[in-house]
Amino acid sequence: MDYPVIIELLTASVRIATPLLFVALGGVISESGGTFAVGVEGMMLGGAFGGAVTVLVTKNILLGLLASSISGALFATIIAVATVRFRTDHMVTGLAVNIFALGLTSFLLRGLFGGKTPVMVLPTLSTVRIPWLCTLPLAGPVLFDEPLMTYLAFLLIIPVHLFLRRTRAGLTLRAVGENPSAAFSVGASPEQIRMVAVIVCGAFAGLGGAVLSLQELGTFTDGMTNGRGFLALAAIIVGRWMPFRVMWGCLLIGAASALALNIQGWGLPLSSYVIQMTPYLIALAVLCGIGRKARMPQAIGKAFIRN
Amino acid sequence: MSTSLPKEREVDRSDHIDQPGTLTGSVLPTALDRSADFWRRMALGGLAVSLSFVVAAIPIIVSGKNPLLAYWALVRGACGSVDSIAFALNKSTPYILAGVGVALCFRARVINIGAEGQIAVGGIAASWIVLSATALPGELLIPLALLGGACAGGGWAAIAAVMRLARGVHEVLGTLLLNFVGLLLVSEVLHGPMGEVGAGFPQSPLFPEQAWLPPLIPGTDLHIGIILAVLAVFVFHLVFWHTPFGFRLRLLGSTDAAAAYAGVSIVRSLFSVMLIAGALAGVAGAVEVLGVHYRLIQGFSVGFGFNAVAIALLASLNPIAVLPAGLFFGFLETGALAMQREIGVPSSLVFVIQGLTMVFVLCALGISLRRQRI
Repeated sequence: MDYPVIIELLTASVRIATPLLFVALGGVISESGGTFAVGVEGMMLGGAFGGAVTVLVTKNILLGLLASSISGALFATIIAVATVRFRTDHMVTGLAVNIFALGLTSFLLRGLFGGKTPVMVLPTLSTVRIPWLCTLPLAGPVLFDEPLMTYLAFLLIIPVHLFLRRTRAGLTLRAVGENPSAAFSVGASPEQIRMVAVIVCGAFAGLGGAVLSLQELGTFTDGMTNGRGFLALAAIIVGRWMPFRVMWGCLLIGAASALALNIQGWGLPLSSYVIQMTPYLIALAVLCGIGRKARMPQAIGKAFIRN
Repeated sequence: MSTSLPKEREVDRSDHIDQPGTLTGSVLPTALDRSADFWRRMALGGLAVSLSFVVAAIPIIVSGKNPLLAYWALVRGACGSVDSIAFALNKSTPYILAGVGVALCFRARVINIGAEGQIAVGGIAASWIVLSATALPGELLIPLALLGGACAGGGWAAIAAVMRLARGVHEVLGTLLLNFVGLLLVSEVLHGPMGEVGAGFPQSPLFPEQAWLPPLIPGTDLHIGIILAVLAVFVFHLVFWHTPFGFRLRLLGSTDAAAAYAGVSIVRSLFSVMLIAGALAGVAGAVEVLGVHYRLIQGFSVGFGFNAVAIALLASLNPIAVLPAGLFFGFLETGALAMQREIGVPSSLVFVIQGLTMVFVLCALGISLRRQRI
């Protein structure tokens, strides 16, 4: 492989990893607090939709980003209330919200615009070159010549990491995920903390959706997230609920997808459909490879009941 | 004193004094008794459905349509004519088949959401058999194709089961990711070995006529698949409530401690329940290609898996209640298509109603369980 191909591959990996990273960081927050984040697919789709429609109407991308995180958070609120207040099963509730989000976005896409799918060609976020750094070999074009949201995704890892490891609130959140009874006995409210964590997760996942609709494609189509939320969940397990490692998980899946896209041009005797399977197969293979070493938050998926 | 009796586990009761709160597992219905709350659960399902229709009226109003007119069009479209009823029954068939399997899995606390992929590979296997053994008479070919579908679907589910048991990969992620692979597999065979040359759409050649599922009522599109679905519901109703295997599944669903005490092998039960669910989904896939399309077409199973989950939940995971729940979703979808044609309300309303129904059923189960606790 020569230099331009490598650059192209790495750039594509970073690009594909960006939406996954937003979703995965949100998922880490939700799951650290003890709530499985199966609903991220729906939150992401909601975010992509909210952002796209807002930009279509207002032509303002910043408003669009805000709207996407709010839409993501709204879908998350359903999960937060159901799992915490009604103690429903996290996995199935997440799935229900995924279906609901798929239906509602598809319905409103037509319903809001008079029964027909509108033609959406939205302005997308353009790349921002970081002066000087972008002239570095390899790292320059790959890391410092990216659109705004990509920088934001990778910069967000640091505050999320510090929050979970170094702040009182973050440690309480993790305590709630490990042992809610203990957290409760020192004055924390596990129910409230879990709900907030899920809603914050929704805002993150919504931004992940905005990356798709406002940065990558500039449009919204039915079910456009197409399993990316689930790939982000795989990345969380690969990264063992630690933000920096989760980033590598996302990049791994990004690289697999980028390679898959690139292979199509090499004339190998593989059809494009087999190649499209690779990200899912790689995710499965890595999950199998990690096996039981993955230690999830102890109280994840379990409801807390005050005595 | 017999030594084969399991030793009683020591129970640390100090838990209840020291800890300010308790943790409980997933709130999925786990009652061991059969008749006690069957009707209450049916009522609960009805309530959840009505509530979702009320909430789903909001997006209809937002899009500038009258929800009452929309629902009226939906009802008329679903049961207005013999044709539409036949169409709805055909639609319900794969949902019911896959839904029974999902209900059994959930009942054993195995969250199998891979019906979509299992249906896809079941369809591929059935199509392959039908297209390569064209010389066989229909009486042989159809059962063979159904069997092939069952094996393929079961095998697909077994992959997820093995990953869970051997490598600890949670079945939710395993089955979900395999769904995408299964769907792409359909596209792959249709663009490769099984595709119809020169067709504008990715599809296989038309099946030989003796492989088509015969009509149940001559003159309509209704095929015999629905008989299969009803049969599956009753068989697994009996299996679930009247066999040792069913009892083991119910034990698994209640508590780990109870299952362990009774000597239930989690490995074997998980594997067999996944296998059954996969096989049922595979049959659903075979029925869909043999009875509706008469060929394999790209994306024929899209959405079926989540439908099956929604149906299993609406049935409160009771095998026999899957029948009304599955019929409801079949009719709902048929009606929604007519509603879209007639008054322009998008048919994706079905997913809105499905998602809402699931959320409401889950919440209602949560409430009823909380009552029981007190």
